[in-house]
Amino acid sequence: MTLSLSDPTWYPIASSDDLPFRHVYQGQLLGRELAVWRADDGNVNVWENRCLHRGVRLSIGINEGGELKCQYHGWRYANRSAGCTYIPAHPADAPARRIQNRTYPVREAYGLIWSAANDEQAFRPFAGAEGHDWFALRPMPVNAAPEDVLAALAGLAPDDQPADLLPGLAVRFGGTWYFVQPVDAGRAVIRGLLREQPADAVATLRHYNETLSKLRDRLERAAARKPAPEPLQPTFEKLSADLATMPDIAIPRGNTITVVVRRKWTSADGVIGFELAARNGHLPTFQPGAHIDLHLPNGMTRQYSITNGPGELMSYIIGVKQESASKGGSKVLVETVREGDLLSISEPRNNFPLRRDAVRTVLIAGGIGITPLLSMARFLDKSALPYELHYFTRAGEQVAFRGDLEALHGKVILHTGLPRAEIGTTIASALGQWSMAQHVYVCGPGPMLETVRDTATAQGWPEESIHFEYFRNDKVIDNSSAFDVELARSAMTLHVPSGKTIMEVMRDAGLTVPSSCEQGACGTCLTTVIEGEVDHQDVYLNRSEKASNTCMMTCVSRAKSARLVLDI
Amino acid sequence: MPSIDPITRDLWQVIAATDEVPVGLVEITTLLDVRLALTRDNDGNPVVWRRTDEEQGDEIDPETVLDRLPVITGYGYIWTSLGTPPKELFPIPEYAEADRKNMSCGSIGLAVSAPRAVENFLDMGHFPYVHTDILGAEPHTEVKEYDVEVSEERDEVLATRCKFIQPRAAKSATEAMEVEYVYRVPHPFCSVLYKSCPEDENRRDVIAIFLQPMTEERCRAHLLQSMIDSTSTITDLRRFQQTIFGQDKPILENQYPKRLPLDPRAETPIRADKSAIAYRRWLSQKGITYGVIPMAS
Amino acid sequence: MTITLYDFELSGNCYKLRLLMSILKLRYNIVPVDFYPDRQHKADWFLRLNPFGQLPVLKDDDLILSDSGAILAYLAKKYDESGQWFPNDPAVTAEVLRWHAVADDITSTASAARLALGFFYDFDIEKAQKGAHRIFRLMDEHLWFGEREGRDWLCSPDHPTTADIACFPYVMLSEEGGISRQDYPALRRWTDRVRRIPGFMVMSGIFPAGRAAEES
Ligand SMILES: N[C@@H](CCC(=O)N[C@@H](CS)C(=O)NCC(=O)O)C(=O)O
Ligand code: FES
Ligand SMILES: [Fe+2]
Repeated sequence: MTLSLSDPTWYPIASSDDLPFRHVYQGQLLGRELAVWRADDGNVNVWENRCLHRGVRLSIGINEGGELKCQYHGWRYANRSAGCTYIPAHPADAPARRIQNRTYPVREAYGLIWSAANDEQAFRPFAGAEGHDWFALRPMPVNAAPEDVLAALAGLAPDDQPADLLPGLAVRFGGTWYFVQPVDAGRAVIRGLLREQPADAVATLRHYNETLSKLRDRLERAAARKPAPEPLQPTFEKLSADLATMPDIAIPRGNTITVVVRRKWTSADGVIGFELAARNGHLPTFQPGAHIDLHLPNGMTRQYSITNGPGELMSYIIGVKQESASKGGSKVLVETVREGDLLSISEPRNNFPLRRDAVRTVLIAGGIGITPLLSMARFLDKSALPYELHYFTRAGEQVAFRGDLEALHGKVILHTGLPRAEIGTTIASALGQWSMAQHVYVCGPGPMLETVRDTATAQGWPEESIHFEYFRNDKVIDNSSAFDVELARSAMTLHVPSGKTIMEVMRDAGLTVPSSCEQGACGTCLTTVIEGEVDHQDVYLNRSEKASNTCMMTCVSRAKSARLVLDI
Repeated sequence: MPSIDPITRDLWQVIAATDEVPVGLVEITTLLDVRLALTRDNDGNPVVWRRTDEEQGDEIDPETVLDRLPVITGYGYIWTSLGTPPKELFPIPEYAEADRKNMSCGSIGLAVSAPRAVENFLDMGHFPYVHTDILGAEPHTEVKEYDVEVSEERDEVLATRCKFIQPRAAKSATEAMEVEYVYRVPHPFCSVLYKSCPEDENRRDVIAIFLQPMTEERCRAHLLQSMIDSTSTITDLRRFQQTIFGQDKPILENQYPKRLPLDPRAETPIRADKSAIAYRRWLSQKGITYGVIPMAS
Repeated sequence: MTITLYDFELSGNCYKLRLLMSILKLRYNIVPVDFYPDRQHKADWFLRLNPFGQLPVLKDDDLILSDSGAILAYLAKKYDESGQWFPNDPAVTAEVLRWHAVADDITSTASAARLALGFFYDFDIEKAQKGAHRIFRLMDEHLWFGEREGRDWLCSPDHPTTADIACFPYVMLSEEGGISRQDYPALRRWTDRVRRIPGFMVMSGIFPAGRAAEES
């Protein structure tokens, strides 16, 4: 029998005990090296043992609980998705491209960790697995061909109890199962299971360990007399073409994802929590500060920040403000959406990236603005980075996500029911004087944003150190310019006079143009620019995206040049 | 045996620090999969030849070696070639300045290809993680925009305006400072850097790495320092450089594949990697195939 | 007291002493010795300190000591008030010394392979690698059963001793000698634990471990 790189069989690759928290295990299956690690939520990750950046083994990296950190340049990869969430060399950027490490299927069962070279086969328990309290033996690595190891194990069976050869390089006799993990052409690990817990665990383990050590020594002596088999030659998969070029700013338009409302609850007075779960598997990677577009049953789109911590991808948790004045948006969510309903969301997008290179991070939240900042605090927490979270609400009952806030290890300060005047002085002392590598992130009602911005500026905080996000475009739109737009794919040129938007002109010409907020905040009308210089007036694109001059929002933005060529 | 591309064959390749080769005794080494022997004659001049049955430490009369490979000395090192080398080595003019402390810092084996080691030498993003508290420290991890060009006239990659915040930039540094670097790659397997000198703000310390490709996946790093430092001893300065290099070694030896992939779709570049991208492209355009995984044509 | 360490940064044996002194918060001076490429440990001035021509050497006032294992014992007995690094109990002393001897075997195998591959010493690489694998197998087994029996360290006390310090460096540096630790998962976990000892410091070639999971 020769081993095949594309063998879809599930093999055990580690014991459950091999994966204590915050450890990275180095494994190998069918010639491919694996970095295996357990996140703090218990989930086991089996990844190709190679960072996508410069090919360094991830098994020398650091398990931070929700993310794995590469030892070479500190890139972080998220639990479950293996998506890259942070690139320290460019701390102000949200990794725009979908950099995702290669993952392998995984299942933890019977005291072992199982994986396969591909996901062609669903995991199926071995025959007779169910209904027993399995006991894992000490794994025994052997430098011999897996098929030889299997044959030798079968030879251990007593004469009156012939060995049962099972599918997947396994053998059984009596209450003992042996699985051979094909590490490589000339290397294997014997992973034994006993059907029941022995009376004296350690004595039993020692007994089997002795037997298997002798078997190993015999096998290795025999292997040494034969020519060593050629190791398997796995290849590394190529990256997608968009990752191969440098940087440019590609904005993930993303697909929509259907999620199910797993839980809906009152998190605080006026704040409803929603847990949106993937229907199968996990949701896409997100970074702290990211939001999703939620497509509501009534056709509207609204943005909500993800509150989750690193590597929490089984569901996104959002907080929705119950506004009496709200016209249709959150109202629909709060009043008509129920647990079990399906909703459609966009992939996460990040206009509010968190730098992790600050010596001090100040997070200031007002009311529902806590949501992105809670996520940020959770990320900083896991990396043991210092931060102060100030959370302003009108009353104690309005403090949302209270339990989650209490679980944080950083400085969390609740300011409830402060009179207007005191809010200003509190913010001023929370900020303090600026010094190098300090950053403040603020999310809350407009006036609060302004207060933080003005106070920070007055106290010496430079513009680059003050971070905030708009879900609403409060800027006054200057629509005085007039110019031509050429629609490359539609082969038409239209004139945009002052006082009209590009979107309106296109609609007048009979085109269907998707939109939602029509104030440059939601991203629905994002369009690719082929030529011409854009006069950006939206709050959706971030600074570098705007500077790239490759895309625009046709609902508010215009042209600085006489002509724009759009990919429509 | 892997074939050696003609560009690589005709280059000067470093093989040893001149002073470390004893007169009249055989040193052995490997270059481009070829076993070499070398010694120095009574005048101290190096003699290099293809090794047959000589062993390390054998006594030898250099006069008896007839079939010799070309030899040149420069920057404290012996260079040879398996083909027809150019007249001269690439220039490092600072080396000749009288008040500099010039020194080799040991030749250290690395289980990785020479181009991977060059690329690591050009890279600033790893400072906080690999050279923690010396050349970088979290949280200061940002690699700011810098310039890269391939100089036509000198046929070398040049990166300028490279800046990084460093806790202890040199042996003589006492406090954190923003350090400015210039990087040159004047030879496919050699790189030279210039960095702000803590002692004299108008001059620059020079550090070079010369890689001897032993096989496609193994090399020997020869380190040169040419420093402006009136207080430290050679031993101190060597120790500093060896500390740094000893930190890079486990990273390099954990890189896969060991040869440098030139296909842009093999690894994920970011803006901070501009110089590496230029270097890979330059190797590709030159037609270097030794120690790299060439782009599939 | 004035402690002076004659030291080479890339030496695992010297690092053992830097490590213990860092854990014990001892202040000391370093005299760098150019072991490579200059071979100063064979220079007359050094041979007067240690006729064996080996690093490390430690001077405590007028006392001159050599051999890393011996110096670990000395430092612990003299300066470790907790008494835990080199315990007085006769049985534990024997255990610790047993592992000090293993540490020397690791030096003559794993470290020899590293010197051959990294510093071009004329040693039998394959023999050195095989020897190291033999030791690592035994250590992995010892540590694996230790985990089952509630013992986290090489010796029986519930805290680390100089045995762990003596064995740690060249286990961690083994890959430089072409010796993979993939087949020794319990040994790899022990290196995480050593790297989490309060006061731990690194040397070139050894990276710190991440934080342990926070107590919740
Ligand atoms: N058993 C001694 C061994 C020391 C040793 O091997 N030192 C190395 C440097 S790490 C050395 O100086 N080797 C030179 C030689 O043995 O000639 C100890 O633990 O101190
Ligand atoms: S190689 Fe992993 S972060 Fe660069
Ligand atoms: Fe480096």
